[in-house]
Amino acid sequence: MSATGEELVRVDDLTKSFGSTRAVHGASFGIAAGEIHALCGHNGAGKSTVVKMLSGQETPDAGAIRIGGDRLDLHSRQVAQRSGVALVDQELSVVASLTVAENLMLGDLRAGWLNRRRAAGPRLRALLDNVGLGHVDLDQPLSELGIGERQLVEIARALGQDARLLILDEPTATLSDVESEYVYAAVRAVAATGRAILFVSHRLGEVLGLCDRVTVMRDGAVVATTAVAGLTIDSLIVQMLGEAPHRLRKRTGREAEGPAEVLNVSGLSVAGRVDDFSIGLRPGRVYALAGQLGSGASEVLRAIAGLVPAATGDIEVDGVTVRPGHPIAATRAGIAFVSNDRKSEGLFLDKPISWNLLATRLPAVTRWGVIDRQRWSTALTRLVGLCGLDGKRSADSVRSLSGGNQQKVFVGRGLGRSDVRVLLLDDPTRGVDVGGRAAIHVLLRDAADRGMTVLFSSTELEELLDLADVVITMHKGVVVRRHDGDVAGPVLLREMTHGAATPAEERR
Amino acid sequence: MKPPSFRRPEASLPVAALVLTIIAFVLIPTYTDTALSSFDVYNTLQIFARLGLLTLALGLTMIAGEFDLSVVGTYALGGMLTVQAGQQHWAWGLLAALGAGAAVGLLQGGLIARLKIPSMPVTLATYIALLGLTSALSGGLTKTYANVTVTLWVDQPVLTYFSPRSLITLGLFAAAAAVLSLSRWGRELRAIGGDRRAGRVAGVRVDRLIVGTFAASGVLSALGGSLLSFSLGSANPDPGVQPLIVAAAAALLGGVSLAGGRGHPLGLLGGILAVALLAEIVAVAAVPQYVSQLFFAGLLGIIVVIDAPDLHSALVRQRTRLRPSHHPRTSI
Repeated sequence: MSATGEELVRVDDLTKSFGSTRAVHGASFGIAAGEIHALCGHNGAGKSTVVKMLSGQETPDAGAIRIGGDRLDLHSRQVAQRSGVALVDQELSVVASLTVAENLMLGDLRAGWLNRRRAAGPRLRALLDNVGLGHVDLDQPLSELGIGERQLVEIARALGQDARLLILDEPTATLSDVESEYVYAAVRAVAATGRAILFVSHRLGEVLGLCDRVTVMRDGAVVATTAVAGLTIDSLIVQMLGEAPHRLRKRTGREAEGPAEVLNVSGLSVAGRVDDFSIGLRPGRVYALAGQLGSGASEVLRAIAGLVPAATGDIEVDGVTVRPGHPIAATRAGIAFVSNDRKSEGLFLDKPISWNLLATRLPAVTRWGVIDRQRWSTALTRLVGLCGLDGKRSADSVRSLSGGNQQKVFVGRGLGRSDVRVLLLDDPTRGVDVGGRAAIHVLLRDAADRGMTVLFSSTELEELLDLADVVITMHKGVVVRRHDGDVAGPVLLREMTHGAATPAEERR
Repeated sequence: MKPPSFRRPEASLPVAALVLTIIAFVLIPTYTDTALSSFDVYNTLQIFARLGLLTLALGLTMIAGEFDLSVVGTYALGGMLTVQAGQQHWAWGLLAALGAGAAVGLLQGGLIARLKIPSMPVTLATYIALLGLTSALSGGLTKTYANVTVTLWVDQPVLTYFSPRSLITLGLFAAAAAVLSLSRWGRELRAIGGDRRAGRVAGVRVDRLIVGTFAASGVLSALGGSLLSFSLGSANPDPGVQPLIVAAAAALLGGVSLAGGRGHPLGLLGGILAVALLAEIVAVAAVPQYVSQLFFAGLLGIIVVIDAPDLHSALVRQRTRLRPSHHPRTSI
């Protein structure tokens, strides 16, 4: 597909400020009919604000949005939908208490006032099949579906809205590779019918593979719009960051006979999720669990942190047994856990950054159970510096930060604590841009250098190869292999997607 | 929104409650000296008519993820306006009551939707203000209604078991069920109750829907008050908190979740019918009032436990534990 048609969507000098912050200023770009147009940029570069203005969730202060030549005033979601803008939001926006069919019909303009579930059946069925959800029943409650499947339902809903402009804001962030392939195919099919598609993503590989042109934003302004043919991942990163990102040197040199193992897990099982997982971790090293959604990597971390009541197996920290299923026991033993869902399982969004950073170390900043101002500010200054945050903003609420900086606060909460021996992180850079990711990697490497044991889960090859000393691949609840030294990316990918055995071996 | 399958709580709770109370009702002759008569059924439906519209009003706001505490205030005001404005002709009183109910609902809905204020404080304030207003209107006294023909008409037996009052109430439940099943409002109401942000992003007109729901709640409560005033031939400025408690209990029995996003008018009907049957059993069996209160408390306790997410996950866990593992064991 090439961007040969004339521009269907045109954005000119779009500007939006929130208080004194200029989120977007003078953003202009165009999307041709039939084009898949990527929007890339750092967290806080203004992508989300542009998406919000195009989808009717925010009104621009200045500038024009044109679709098919008509200048539009998109002051609400309904107006935007009627003007032909469909949206897959960055956050999952389907309702768990409704059925799959009801979610697909939610907000659909063509659905009319009457409930025509029966009549719409075949159309909705086709939408689901289109995104690889052939096994999902239309009248199943959405709450019975996994996160990836729910995301696919939301994508199916947007695809079915017959829009002129389809916006997908990080649609594949929670999806496995197989699920993503369905999305790519469906998006290509929609583009082929002459619609404009705006594809926001942090996965640069998919941007280059799927899209026709890329608009890169930095600090609220458009840097450039370039055809993908002239781009590589590195040149894209240069556009996004303005400089080549700092790459960490891998430290595979450290031999296995280091100090004694800190964390020892054997026979860890979670019914239906993880089967007989064992691992021994030494201090000062970074370990990675590589596994797609559903591989069990996330459950292993949660189980070690005591968050899975049904988990069985032996967990030992420094030779002391920690009962599974008891988060307080795990915390006392020195295990800190950073969830993959910072919004609902991590940060106090409405509280200041300072509160969030110090919430887990109250004994260190109190005297006789009362907060000691001096200790508080000393600890805060140290932590803010450690995490690379802006000290002047430490009284602002965490909600006001960009996603990447929120994640830094979340990770920072587990750092610099003498009582933490093992730091577990479930997909620590989910939804974080390249710059934020590099900063978090530096934080984790520093923590390991200070003697902490770091264990994280990830699906990103680059992250696994850059950060981890040891990579353990998982597939469908079991460990595939442990890689102590260098390993090639394709090997990891194959083990994560196909497991250990080839089909021929399985038959034997 | 189609009536949900019986495996889900919004259907199983009211059905279970209704079946249990019907059994207890039919068995009345076995544990008391009184035999059942058609009058007992009529009476049950009269109790239902007294509290049904309140339950429906409260239940609808609960499905939308809100909680309209003011229903009893509107109920009292509606009843009082019916008597005071309807001395010449009943229609004027009814119109005044419905108009006031709609105004109260629109005002509250507007405040809650536009200013994004939680519904609890808004409706609590309205509840208190409306009770005060009703007392001011009546000088704090019970007012009698002189139009005896209306009083006789609303409670005359129809088809042995019904009265115009209970039929109107049943009709409104049926209308609400039809509207929510046949139009997009049903799923949109549950969508904003279940996840308001997601609903908004999907394109649901959240603000309008909230205002509409509160307006419906106000009109239904006021109508409930009107019908009660017609029936009693008088209006009481302070109905007390009992109606609110009973309506909330009936809504919960009807399968509505306190978290919002779940429920159906037919479930609410089942819930309030179960409550009415129970009240009739208490009256016939001459059981002391406190027994029924304890019984209600017990019933609500059971609902809350059944509804608890932790219990559900514990059961799921137990089931998965009993099932053998699917994964072949591999060694590293």
